[in-house]
Order: sequence, then C-alpha cells, then structure tokens
Amino acid sequence: MSNFIRKQLPMLFAFFAGMVILVAFFSGKKIITDFRSDMQVWVSIIGGFTLLLGVASISSVNLQKVITRGKDWPYKLVLLVCLAVSGGFGIFQGTESGTVYDWLFQNMVTPMMSSMFAMLAFFIASAAYRAFRARTLEATILLIVAIIVMLGRIPLGQLLFSELPVITEWIMNYPNLAVQRGIIIGAALGAASMSIRIILGIERTYMGK
Amino acid sequence: MNAFIRALLPVIFAPGLALAGNGSDPWFRMDRLNTLIFLLVFAVMVLVYIRLAKMGRPLFLRKLAGLDAMDEAVGRATEMGKPVLFIPGIQEVSEIQTIAGLSILGKVAAFTAEYETPLLVTVQYPVVMAAAQEIVKDSYTNAGKKDLYSDSMVQYVAGSQFALAAAVNGIMTRIKPAANIFMGAFYAESLLLAETGNLTGAIQIAGTANPEQLPFFIAACDYTLMGEELYAASAYLSGEPKILGSLKGQDLMKIVITVLMIISIILLLTSWKGIFILKLLETA
Amino acid sequence: MVLLATIIPFIAGFPQPIHISKESRDLYDWVENIPDGSTILLTFDYYPSTIAEVEPMSRAAIKQCWRKNLKLITLSTVPLGGPNIAERVLNDMATGWAVEEFGEEKKYGIDFINLGYKPDYKAVILGMGDSFRRIYPTDFAGVSLDSFPIMRDIDRYEDVEFLFIISDNGIVDEWITIANRQFGIPIGSGVTAVMAPKFYSYLQSRQMVGLLGGMKGASEYENLVGAEGMATLFMGPQSTVHLIIILFILVGNAAYFIGGRKP
Repeated sequence: MSNFIRKQLPMLFAFFAGMVILVAFFSGKKIITDFRSDMQVWVSIIGGFTLLLGVASISSVNLQKVITRGKDWPYKLVLLVCLAVSGGFGIFQGTESGTVYDWLFQNMVTPMMSSMFAMLAFFIASAAYRAFRARTLEATILLIVAIIVMLGRIPLGQLLFSELPVITEWIMNYPNLAVQRGIIIGAALGAASMSIRIILGIERTYMGK
Repeated sequence: MNAFIRALLPVIFAPGLALAGNGSDPWFRMDRLNTLIFLLVFAVMVLVYIRLAKMGRPLFLRKLAGLDAMDEAVGRATEMGKPVLFIPGIQEVSEIQTIAGLSILGKVAAFTAEYETPLLVTVQYPVVMAAAQEIVKDSYTNAGKKDLYSDSMVQYVAGSQFALAAAVNGIMTRIKPAANIFMGAFYAESLLLAETGNLTGAIQIAGTANPEQLPFFIAACDYTLMGEELYAASAYLSGEPKILGSLKGQDLMKIVITVLMIISIILLLTSWKGIFILKLLETA
Repeated sequence: MVLLATIIPFIAGFPQPIHISKESRDLYDWVENIPDGSTILLTFDYYPSTIAEVEPMSRAAIKQCWRKNLKLITLSTVPLGGPNIAERVLNDMATGWAVEEFGEEKKYGIDFINLGYKPDYKAVILGMGDSFRRIYPTDFAGVSLDSFPIMRDIDRYEDVEFLFIISDNGIVDEWITIANRQFGIPIGSGVTAVMAPKFYSYLQSRQMVGLLGGMKGASEYENLVGAEGMATLFMGPQSTVHLIIILFILVGNAAYFIGGRKP
C-alpha cells in the first residue's frame, strides 16, 4: 500500500493530468475545456500553497542556526527578521502602494536586485578578457562577428560605419536565427520526448526511483 | 497520391469546416488534425524504439563529454575533501528543464553517496526542494548510505533569481566547492554563477536548453550540455533501455522534420504547391 | 574602467543618433494601427533587477497607448514585485505624465486596471484563454472585476486587440505558444538584450508582430513615440561600455598571442 501511494499513485496523477491537457488541446467540447480550466485553477491554488512550504523550510533551517549560534548566525537572524517584517506587513496591511511592504520593495529589494544585475557588466568584462580568445578558426570568426554585433548595437557603430546596423540586423536575422532554430527545435523535441516518457510513466527519476 | 492529397485538401484549406458537426463545440478540432498526426507519429517512433531497446537491440549514443566528466568531477571533489554544488535550474518543477535537472541530480547523488562526498543542492522553489530532497534521499538509500543523508543537503535559498545568485556566490566563495554542476533552466544569473565558480577554481559542468545562456556557460564552464543534450542526460547516465530507446525515436523524428524542411524549401523555391506544404505544417 | 565608462557619459552627456530597427518600427506601427479606444493587455513580466533596461519600454508603451485612448489591462506573471512595479508605473504615468499631456488624470478601472499576479504562469496563460475571471476574479487590490467599466464585455483573449509583453525572462515563449498559437491574439514584446536574439524566429514566422531588444530597443521605441527618456539617455554609457568590452577582448587576444598562445 505504501509503495502504491509513493510510486504508482503519483504516476497515475501524472498520466491523468497529462492526458486531460492533451485531450483538451484537441477537443473543442465545452465540458472538456471547462474541466481543463478547473484543473488549471487548482494548479494555481496549489502553487500558492507551496510558497508556504518554502517559508517553513527557510525559517526552520535558519532558526536552528540562530538558536545553536551556528556559523554566521547574525546574518541568519537578519534574514528571519526581514522575513517576519515583510511577511507580516504584507499579510496584515496588504501589498498595494503606500504600504510598508511596498516601501520595502521599492526602496530596498529593487535597488538590491538592480545592483546584482548591474554586476553582470563587470563579470562580462572579466569573461571577455579571459575567455574570448582566437584559439581556432571558428573562435576567430565568432570573435569578429561578436565585435561587429556589439558595435552595431550601439549608436556609435553607425557613426563609425553607416551600414553597420544593417549588417548587424542581417547577422541577427540569418546566421544567428539558423543556429537558434536548430537548438530550439532539438530542445523542443527533447522536451516532447521527455514529456511523453513522464506521462507514460517510463521516466520516474524526477520522483526518486 | 493525388487522391490522397485531394482528400486532405478540405481539412487543410478550409479550417471553417472544422467547426461543423455541433456548431462551435466539436468533439475534435479538425484544424489541429495535422498536430495530432505528428504527435502520434512521434509517439509511435518513441515507443517502437523503446520496444527495440527492451528486446536487447544495441543503440548507439555519441559521447557527451559533460556527462562523462560527472564521475571525474565528483572524484575530484572527494580527493580535495570539498563538496559538490548542484543547481537544478531556477524554474519551477513544472518546467521540463527542471525535471531533466532533477533526473541528473539523482545520478550525481548516487556518485556522491558512493564516494561519500558532501553534496549541496540549492533551489529557488519549495516544490523543487521537496522533489530534490526525495531524489537525493532515494539515491543515498539505494547506495546503502542512508545515514549520510540529511535534509539540509537541499536548501531553498531564495525566491528570486538574483537573490539565489547572491546566495550561491556566497556559498561558492566561502565553502569553495570543488565541483559545480548547473543543470536546468537558467537566465541572467548564469554568468554570475559560472564566472564566480570559475574564479574559485572549481570544475564546472553546465547544461541548459535556453540558447541565450549557452555562450556564458561555454565561456566560463569546463563542459556544457546544449539544448537536447540536457534531456538526453538522464538516458545517457542511467543506460536504461527504455529511456535510450526514446532518444532514438526522438532522433528519428528530427530526421523526419529535416526532410520535411528540405522538401518545403524546394517546393517554396520552385513555387510548386509550396502553399500546400505551409498549410500542412501550420498549427492552429 | 567599466565603472568609469558608465558614469562619465551619464554625467557628461553623450547624445547619439538612434537608428530605428525594423522590428521596433513594426511594433510601433502595429500599435498605431489599433483602433482608438480599444482594449489591450500589457504585461509587466519583469523582475526589479531589469527595471533600468525594460521599464522605459513599459513607459513608452503606456504613452503610445494612452495617446490613442487604448484601455490597458495589466498583469504580471512574476511573483516578486511584478504587480507592485505595475502599480508604481501606472500610478506615476496616470497622475504625472497624463496630467501634463491631456490635462487630466487617467482613471483606474476606466482607463487601466492592474490584475496582479497568480501562481503558475502556464496555468494562468492557458486559463485566461477560457476566461479571465476564472483566473483573476478580482484585481490586485481584491476588488471584483465586474465592478470596473474597463472589464465590461472583456473576459477572453478574443475580446482584446493586442498583447504587449514586457519581460525579462522566458515567459514570452509561453505567451506565444499558448496565447498566440492557440487563441490567436497578436503579440508584440519588449525583452532584455540577452533574450532578444532568441525571439527573432518568432518575428520571421509572424508569431510576433514586433520586438524591442534591450536598452537599444527601448531607446528606439522612445524615439518613435516621441518621448525620449531614460533609455535614450543610457545609450551613452552603453556605447562606451561596449567599446571597453571590445578593448578588453582585443587586449586579451594580444596578450594571448604575445604570450605564445598559452592559456
């Protein structure tokens, strides 16, 4: 019984859910599409509850480290306080404009996340110096094309050579696209194959063997 | 052949007929018939090759350097006494790349259990955390090393991509894992993670089906799996005939699509019934 | 060097001519041809980290839409702050720019509405094809959609004229695969520069009517709308940083060859 609940039942759910979506895709019958819509609403609701799981996990792990005065416990305490403050105000006061949650989001979260993203510029500079070497013919071609595109994507490039933006657009629309399509088609087939395996219960590694 | 094409013409050129039968509420949408045919052909190919594989027919798979290096990466971590860091992407478990990443996690966990190497998995979603914990626990149990497993091996570190990147970068610089494995869906944080890992001197293996992130992984990682190689990984590592067979079926479908594309290009260039091909391949 | 290359042009100013790409112009023209007074969907599918790159697109889009009196139904599939970003931008535009441009504010519930966020974007996008109200029974503030004039007779993709996606992640694929291919709504999008190359295939197959790529795309769109803003201003630093990166590549290769091709 326990094996059925742990192994067979999840596979049955996966099969049922996959077949409902597939059948609803090919059918225009209202009763079927309505059932699919209801199922999607349930998925959305369950997705919301899983956020609680994350909060519980992060709270328990960090609380334990604070209580036992583990490594870097002051930072864990800061995390827990921030979680409690933002979560508490969000739940009881709301998240609309003018609330404490919104103030924390606009004045703390947004600048911090923007700063992290901005660090990419420095990482790209480091990677550009270290990794973009003309070791082979292909790497050299890649290098030259990358420089053309980088110049073509800035207004300065047009000042250097008036046709550079046109050349850049051609590179983006033809060679770049050919490669992107090849990878996307291959990845899409791989995803479709994996989906068939999951629906039919052939692939079970995602729930542990 | 002409009779066959003529029979298909009403379906291809008159999608309006698809609504016939019961007003706008048909049991089957005829405008999606071509999609169903392709899906059935694909499914049949996959199932046939699975059957062949189960019957013992040898199936050739080309070498994937990134996957062969998994063993080497875990071995290196064992020698150095450092942990292996694994990130199964930053998307939810409903994303197929995350499922592929979790499949690979099972194999990596089996290696770390065998070598008794510490494993650290960081995730961005709670459901992924729960799935990853289950997978790692099963791998350790199957290896007879259940006592080495603990739930804290899998950590939900943050709910957003850059918070995860900041947390993981902190882990990399403090703990200095000997091997970093990134398998799944990654976005802008890919370069942050890979470059930081590179600076700490770890061996890095990455795999994603997001083509726009591949250049960053290729520049900063030792091995990269591109696109469908990520989905092939679970089959490659497990060697299970059923999953290997599905890979061959998928490859055969790719050949069919390539042939159709070549035929389409020739027909469109010569303008001979070119529109017919476009309509046949159009999805509603 | 990268820091200086960013700060100096920003402070000193570095105006440059903006070449308008075909994909940006196609998007602008499509929106221009939407009948005045229609309703469109505008998404705020981006995290706070990419505000500098994509928010100018949102602002320029709102300007173009409100000049044509288009009604905006906004939503977000991003859990961290997407609806808050939407609320901030919409309120700022409705009470600030709209007053300068039209002499009066744009009204919430009449000219625009913020539906907020719901978990699981695939379920949301697919579910909206059947009924907006099944997925979003209320707006971001929890008020029933039926109490807003903008939502009268609007409940499915067929009821809106256009879907304008502003995003910094792969959600655009899902919108196209589901909303465009299954329900037929035309789509245009503004994405970050790193994601833009992937979406050119959708332009060629006409699954997307236009594309804004990164800050360059945002500056082009601002110029087309006639409202040069932050994106146009930031093209100066972008130009200098690109040149710095190219310099690093060349210096790195010079060091590589001079050093006898040793890694």
